[in-house]
Amino acid sequence: MNAFSYTLATQPDQALRERTGPARAAYLAGGTNLLDHLKLGVERPQLLVDVRKLGFDAITPLPGGGLRIGANVRNTALAYDARVLKNFPALSQALLSGASPQLRNAATTAGNLLQRTRCNYFRDAVSPCNKREPGSGCAALAGINRIHAVLGTSERCIATHPSDMDVALVALDAVVRLRGAQGERTVPLGEFYVAYGEDPAKENVLAPGELITAVDLPPTAWLARSHYFKARERASYEFALASAAVALDLNAGFVRDCRIVLGGVATKPWRALAAEAALRGAPPTENNFRVAADAELKAAVARTHNGFKIELCRRVLVQALQTTAALA
Amino acid sequence: MSTLLASPAPSVSPVGEPRDRVDGRAKVTGRATYAAEAPVRGAVHAVLVQSTVARGEITAIDASAAEKSPGVLAVITPKNRPKLDDDKIKLHAESRLPLGDLKIHYAGQHIAVVVADTLERARHAAKLIKFTYAAQPFLLNHDDPAAKTEWPKDNNGRPLQFKKGDVDKALAAPGVVTVKHTYSTPIETHNPIEMSATVAYWEGEKLTVWDATQAVVNRRLALAAVFDLKPENVRVICPFVGGAFGCKGDQWPHTVIAALTAKVVGRPVKLMLTRAQMFTSCGHRPATEQEITLGATADGRLVAVRHDSKISDSAVGKHTEPCGAGSSAIMYATPNLAFTHRLSRVNIASATFMRAPGENPGTFALESAMDELAIALKIDPLALRLANAPDRAPNSGLPFSTVNVKECYRLGAEKFGWAKRNPKPGETRAPDGARVGWGMATAVYPAFRFPNQARIRLMVDRDGGVRAVGACATQDLGTGAYTVCTQMTAMLVDLPFERVKFELGDTDLPPGGVSGGSATTAGVGQALSEAAAKLAEGLLKLAQSDTASPLAGLKPAQVTFKAGRLVALADPARGFDLAALLKSVPSYVEGRTFVEGLSVANPLGADNLPAKQKLYAFQSFGAHFVEVQIDPHLPVVRVTRVVSVMDVGRIINPKTARSQVEGGVIMGIGQALFEETHYDPTTGRPVNDNLADYVVCVNPDVHSIETHFVGEPDLLFNAVGCRGVGEIGITGIAAAIANAVHHATGIRVRDLPITPDKLLPKA
Repeated sequence: MNAFSYTLATQPDQALRERTGPARAAYLAGGTNLLDHLKLGVERPQLLVDVRKLGFDAITPLPGGGLRIGANVRNTALAYDARVLKNFPALSQALLSGASPQLRNAATTAGNLLQRTRCNYFRDAVSPCNKREPGSGCAALAGINRIHAVLGTSERCIATHPSDMDVALVALDAVVRLRGAQGERTVPLGEFYVAYGEDPAKENVLAPGELITAVDLPPTAWLARSHYFKARERASYEFALASAAVALDLNAGFVRDCRIVLGGVATKPWRALAAEAALRGAPPTENNFRVAADAELKAAVARTHNGFKIELCRRVLVQALQTTAALA
Repeated sequence: MSTLLASPAPSVSPVGEPRDRVDGRAKVTGRATYAAEAPVRGAVHAVLVQSTVARGEITAIDASAAEKSPGVLAVITPKNRPKLDDDKIKLHAESRLPLGDLKIHYAGQHIAVVVADTLERARHAAKLIKFTYAAQPFLLNHDDPAAKTEWPKDNNGRPLQFKKGDVDKALAAPGVVTVKHTYSTPIETHNPIEMSATVAYWEGEKLTVWDATQAVVNRRLALAAVFDLKPENVRVICPFVGGAFGCKGDQWPHTVIAALTAKVVGRPVKLMLTRAQMFTSCGHRPATEQEITLGATADGRLVAVRHDSKISDSAVGKHTEPCGAGSSAIMYATPNLAFTHRLSRVNIASATFMRAPGENPGTFALESAMDELAIALKIDPLALRLANAPDRAPNSGLPFSTVNVKECYRLGAEKFGWAKRNPKPGETRAPDGARVGWGMATAVYPAFRFPNQARIRLMVDRDGGVRAVGACATQDLGTGAYTVCTQMTAMLVDLPFERVKFELGDTDLPPGGVSGGSATTAGVGQALSEAAAKLAEGLLKLAQSDTASPLAGLKPAQVTFKAGRLVALADPARGFDLAALLKSVPSYVEGRTFVEGLSVANPLGADNLPAKQKLYAFQSFGAHFVEVQIDPHLPVVRVTRVVSVMDVGRIINPKTARSQVEGGVIMGIGQALFEETHYDPTTGRPVNDNLADYVVCVNPDVHSIETHFVGEPDLLFNAVGCRGVGEIGITGIAAAIANAVHHATGIRVRDLPITPDKLLPKA
């Protein structure tokens, strides 16, 4: 581990100043990801700006039934919030399928949005990795790539975005609230992520130093018919091999609208636009669900060890859609 | 010499009772002291540096930045390692000592150590050393034509190349049904919760080492050899082990390095492996590829068994996984039997024994093949096994001391409900639509016993009652050895459990054997029994110093302990109160004086068995019955029910014994479904070297596990009648699961682990 300084920020502006100052700085919240990376030598900040005392730790109602989730709200608190359980069930399911109770007690909402890949070659701090050392190459291409992505990849990077929560949030039309030197702005979460394949070191649209203050869930009634489904080998404490967050707006035997987002198979929480397009206006039948899945996975690219993920993802998505369609 | 036998039944024996662990409270309250927590003041910290290339030579080392880094006390590399006795490596896991030369045999090989005043400073400085390598092409696969191969003769005395009868001829005979398949298992890494650790310090020529180890005595001898010390000048202490499964059994390089750095810096040094380092520093179960050929008559009698195994180890490793030797050699009656083991040298860290080495991968192959044979013969898999259960050891022809495998099958089938099984694969469904599969397999493990010496001391307690302290430099790996040895001691001197203590894990105690091979209870039990006899002998002499003694004229074999008294076997009313006897010791001092019985150090060699006992094969058997459920769409296997029945001789403690079998089953579920260490094809480094990416079972993966014990005390094997129970639970279980998966889906997976990709249609 490299030597670093630490400062506790008590005001957002102070945090922004420290973070954009001369030192190479990083925000510290739950630390469940960052501290590992400090020890592994993956991250070498000179300054940690602790943002845990900035507040941003409440879940507050928005007009019309939406929710504002503070950046520092812990995963556990969010997963068990009664309003989330009732109106945004996919979010609670995604949170509770991720990590372990101990990690969820520490991990924060904003931290989860910025969670980094579990690619072993990124984490080992010595292999070529375009994400960690831009231009050095990608060891996963010729390596063990069983857990790697099949969507949104390139010859520069095939790392999988690891989050469960973010997959559900994208499906629920979440909007990220940011505060930077230029003031506040909002970004739909679906547009927040950049697929790793494009520029592996750039994972999102955050400006340097920009601080996430909250995530808003808009009050869309039909999103209550949502579901998160995850396939993995062991029954707990494992990253997804494939997952799907889906929401269905059903009307008179047809899919009026839908959200389909895939996890564990892509270089970002993967909004399955082709699948959504295939399903809109169609009856919610198993066959149509298969057609939708095929429409999305046509673009999937298999590597040496991860080809099974394409078929697995197809099945996960069909199952998620069937479960959602059957919800009361 | 006479030994105190377990019978006649002592009046207050706690043996057979499900006692709680005597060390349970200390463990859950954090007061149990593990090696890294050794109460040694002023310890400084050593951090290892490991090779990032898999084969080649170090051409340059620049340690200047590390040496100048704050807090650094020493940097030792192959360039400046102090001299050791590099030839005296008989008791070491590898055939060369660490940091002795510049050659790289595998990625993860130790190439430097940094000592600093704090762990953080040592870790930081360790990153500053620059190595230049001349890397060479490396081998990962045992079948690589460039790999050097060997055909080792034996594994700890068990033959690895074996032939009885004529397998080819038997297979070619008319009417013989044959199956021939190849099964493979990947490299699995032990991953105990406690990482290996050593705290070492020197006082002149005396070395003291706290070490996470399965063998304090072997550790003492191994360290004494390479540091050129008298064994009595090395003390090894290990009161608690946080799991081992074999990876703390042998002398691995880090312990030598810790002792060496302590000598160099002249201060106590603490060295703890990281989780990642555990993947390359203390062994793993090697990958296996096993070709099995079975031949049987149409009515299901085996006529031939062939089992050819390919395994690998590093160029400096000493382990050959005895797959066929641990399974086909012993499991089924067959007139024609042959097995071979080919060892390839590859550039992966050295292998070692891991819970049921040989028996475990061997039973995956053989018990899968038996299932395939049953299907080929259209015979129930259980019926096939019953028809071929041996009543003599198939390899040696010796009779078993006791054998109850048929009772294991019978009881297991009854408890599981096997008779209701629909023989057709893919036909059984759960109410929620899940595919249901039932499979079974035989479990097997030999009974080993290593030389142990034990002592029992009796003394008068403050309250006037008598208490006993048993002792042996054995180890408790988390298995319950403390508790079980306390129970055996209490039984042998016939005192209440609460008045007995047991000490272990310290070379200051009478020497014990390796806690491996499921041998601890049997070996220590035998030694304790002999110690109790010696104790009785000493007490009798004391009692007979008075010519009017009620025990006058009796020989040691004619007395026994009975409820706080030493009494005549023939007439328990004749005897002495032990407290009174102890107080009659000349120059008795209250709270100090004790009488001791010490067994003789056993000279009988590795298995510690007297010659007459060589007339028998000592072998445990068992049976697993398994239910799996598999979502029809998502091929993720869940093991929903296991019934395991074991014949392991006398059960000293049903609670800890059950835990051992359950633990074996759980580890076996992980092996069957999840576990595999992956090595990068470009660098040779382990890729998933942490507990998030190396997937073992978690609680929700474990459902109902029902354990039963059958059989009788094996008094031919030792005076207490027990065989080991630590390893048998993990044999056969992966095959039972694979057989159940086949029953559920019709898909035969011959390559562990059974991950979802292997159950999906190929893309």
